[in-house]
Amino acid sequence: MSLAAEAFVSQMAAAEPWPENATLYQPLKEEQILLSDCASSLAVQTYLKMCGLPVQVVCKTNAEFMSPSGKIPFIHVGNQVVSELGPIVQFTKAKGHSLSDGLDDVQRAEMKAYMELVNNMLLTSELYIQWCDDATAAEVYEDVSQCCQALSQRLGTQPFFFNKQPTELDALVFGHLFTILTTRLTSSELAERVRSYSNLLTFCRRIEQTYFEDKNS
Amino acid sequence: MALSMELRCWGGGWGLPSVHTESLIVLAYSKFSGAQVTASPIDWTWKTLTATVPELICGESSVTDPTQILNFLRKQRFNADYELTARQGADTLAYIALLEEKLRPALLHTFWVDAENYSNVTRPWFASHSPFPLNFVVPCRHANIAISRILLTKGESPLNRINEIEAKLYSDAKECLNLLSYRLGTANYFFGNSPTSLDAFVFGFLAPLYKAGFPSSPLQSHLGQLENLTQFCENILAVYFSSSQPSSPSSVQETKDANLQKLTQLVNKESNLIEKMDDNLRSSSPQHKPHRPEPKPSLANEKNSTPA
Repeated sequence: MSLAAEAFVSQMAAAEPWPENATLYQPLKEEQILLSDCASSLAVQTYLKMCGLPVQVVCKTNAEFMSPSGKIPFIHVGNQVVSELGPIVQFTKAKGHSLSDGLDDVQRAEMKAYMELVNNMLLTSELYIQWCDDATAAEVYEDVSQCCQALSQRLGTQPFFFNKQPTELDALVFGHLFTILTTRLTSSELAERVRSYSNLLTFCRRIEQTYFEDKNS
Repeated sequence: MALSMELRCWGGGWGLPSVHTESLIVLAYSKFSGAQVTASPIDWTWKTLTATVPELICGESSVTDPTQILNFLRKQRFNADYELTARQGADTLAYIALLEEKLRPALLHTFWVDAENYSNVTRPWFASHSPFPLNFVVPCRHANIAISRILLTKGESPLNRINEIEAKLYSDAKECLNLLSYRLGTANYFFGNSPTSLDAFVFGFLAPLYKAGFPSSPLQSHLGQLENLTQFCENILAVYFSSSQPSSPSSVQETKDANLQKLTQLVNKESNLIEKMDDNLRSSSPQHKPHRPEPKPSLANEKNSTPA
């Protein structure tokens, strides 16, 4: 979205409270959705749950084409359509819901940096796994390990990345890690690498139980 | 490990040891970690077209890409990150990702795509540092690579044009600069009192933007307002790149010690002079003895009372 369009959406967003019939669109789960899209969609769903904002998940084969930016997921709230985690976080913030307000400037800087790390390494690895074959797979797996190690170090023994309160970083990390762990791929190397970090596993389980407990696993 | 190491890189300009971000990152890290690396500028050679820079050559092996080069140096025991905790190492990775994702595209745009900057600053420099006839080819090639890179990573689709995403590019970059400024605060370096690889990366990204003589660049002005970041660059230049000879950190420390010694001697001389003047003025008074005041009067008494 261009800068002007984003500003416009924020202004419109501030006008109305979150409706009951908000919907999230993504491609079909079993047959269609790609690994990276699944992760992004889960991240957004987790974020909305953490904010306590109800949303109905609808699977559509033409979700990509319905999206204003071509990227998934996107949400339909009131008479507005917003796609991707970044703009959605801004959108909910305009409506008065934010997870990162309690952070000071330095912490917010760290949070953004770690989100870029996840986008840079995990997302790229997922895209790679989906589309490319194993020629440079070793490098990709190494990147994933590095990223997981960094996340594991940063998380430590805390419940969330910024101690007691979840933020959009927790949503993003959960979306990606959970997807990697639960999706059946031709090679289980990726999942194995993630599994070797026990605090990340615990983190994923905890978020799953807290926010998705009525979902059948 | 006394293998000599040679770094092929773009040469210096604008008050910097190199105008090229990647080369600057490696040069800075070498200084921080005490690695003796000889800089071999590719300027005015055909390597301006053929080589990938920076390239570190050590004996038979050669390594390209700043991250790989830094890993190589660490394996050779030139490790500026030795004292970092695991958490700080994780933070390093995260902040480097931030630089690459949020700052890099806008820097590419500022140097290679913005028409005024490109024609007044970037192209003249690179053209004048490439041999004939490459001066017609090299800048243009870099500019095209820059445009493709920006569109691939930031454009919604490859068919978008640059000016549609310009505003977002620069607002992301300004936010990134703000975040770096918050994180650095009033410290000299990002992790404590000595510089690490993160400092090398930030320096490599910021210094060319800070120093290039652009006719007008909002991003450059924005950086100029973040005093702790500009001070960060100046500090590294002064401490690690000030003389024409490559000075390692230990020799800088020696210089500081030598200066301190000279200062102490000067102070001592001064105080002796003052004492003499004092004596002359009060020559009649027996209480003011013509020697430096002892810190422990008991010692003087002890000496006096030592039995013969």
